[in-house]
Amino acid sequence: MLIANDETKLREQLAFTDSMIPKRISADPEIVENGLAKLVLSIIELIRRLLEKQALRRMDAGNLSEEEIERLGTALMKLEEKMNELKRTFGLDDDDLNLKLGPVKMWE
Amino acid sequence: MNEALDELTLLETLDHLLDRGVVVAGEAIVSIGDVDLLYLGLNIVLANVDAIKRTSKR
Amino acid sequence: MKSVVIGAHLRRDDIEPLAEAIAAGELFLSGLPVADDQPLGDRELLLRVAKIRAALLERATFIAIRYGLAVSSPAEASAKCAEHLERWRALLEQHRDEVEMTLKVVAPERVARPDRHDFKSGGDYLKALHAATNAVEVDPEFHTAAEEAIGKGRWLHRDQASLELAALVARDAVERVRAAGEELKRRFPHVPFLLSGPWPLEVFADADRE
Repeated sequence: MLIANDETKLREQLAFTDSMIPKRISADPEIVENGLAKLVLSIIELIRRLLEKQALRRMDAGNLSEEEIERLGTALMKLEEKMNELKRTFGLDDDDLNLKLGPVKMWE
Repeated sequence: MNEALDELTLLETLDHLLDRGVVVAGEAIVSIGDVDLLYLGLNIVLANVDAIKRTSKR
Repeated sequence: MKSVVIGAHLRRDDIEPLAEAIAAGELFLSGLPVADDQPLGDRELLLRVAKIRAALLERATFIAIRYGLAVSSPAEASAKCAEHLERWRALLEQHRDEVEMTLKVVAPERVARPDRHDFKSGGDYLKALHAATNAVEVDPEFHTAAEEAIGKGRWLHRDQASLELAALVARDAVERVRAAGEELKRRFPHVPFLLSGPWPLEVFADADRE
């Protein structure tokens, strides 16, 4: 059962994890057309978001030592840094990564 | 309008599958897209995933 | 062959014949057998598992195991779930006639994301991210109305743009909740929210939140 108020806004605003699942990288013509770089970066970005969400869940649970928090936080910072480097290298920005992978859209 | 709702239902269903529930043996964190990562050879992300796996001790 | 694990159930016939029943301690895990080299990050597989989960829920309430666990034998299943089994059994017996309902609501204002350049230490950055996520607020009137509609449950902060209420509802109260949801829609036409369910024990099965 699903009762929704304002489907459009919901789709825009809710960070559904579905957006993290790309179609298998096989012979999908849409993917080939859109360029491998965009695909790769989009997937890294999705993984980065997944890892960040997981880190936040661990913070919620409150069972991380100060050392672990430090290491997790640093890993996340580095991942973000790497992501930005790659975007610069390929001349892509966040809008460019908002691509359509088959029937699965990428959400912010 | 119905299409929007269908899509929303799909997203919500998958969201529940992926983002909630008990994490057993730390599997859930890395296994989504795991093989795809290997397939693409994304070593950067793999390295960080490993670091976080070690860090979370599960 | 490996089996993609779906949930933990009290009885074998809570599972069969909808899925494979894998014995683990006194409980049974539901599984979907797939080829060993089947990648888990596959959309079609996810959709299949989602369908089976829904069918299993109609049978009986179970503990949802997050997608991603795959086992090759009952021994492996038992070993990996060992630390959870006792707790799961207690939960399953306690909540046999209940299901989870979820209400997500979009916050009127997205909380600003901290800029990593403002932080020298990774730990401080992560703490700031966590604080920002937890700062999300919704209209207090809606907050109260939501709890009246689906019950007092747990409010979760999953991201910087929304809030989520998860509550346990008796199976025979699900229709009443649905009506309450429609009423909520009428009362708050400008608050984007999503009421969904029923779901197996997800938030309420999470050890971290005890």
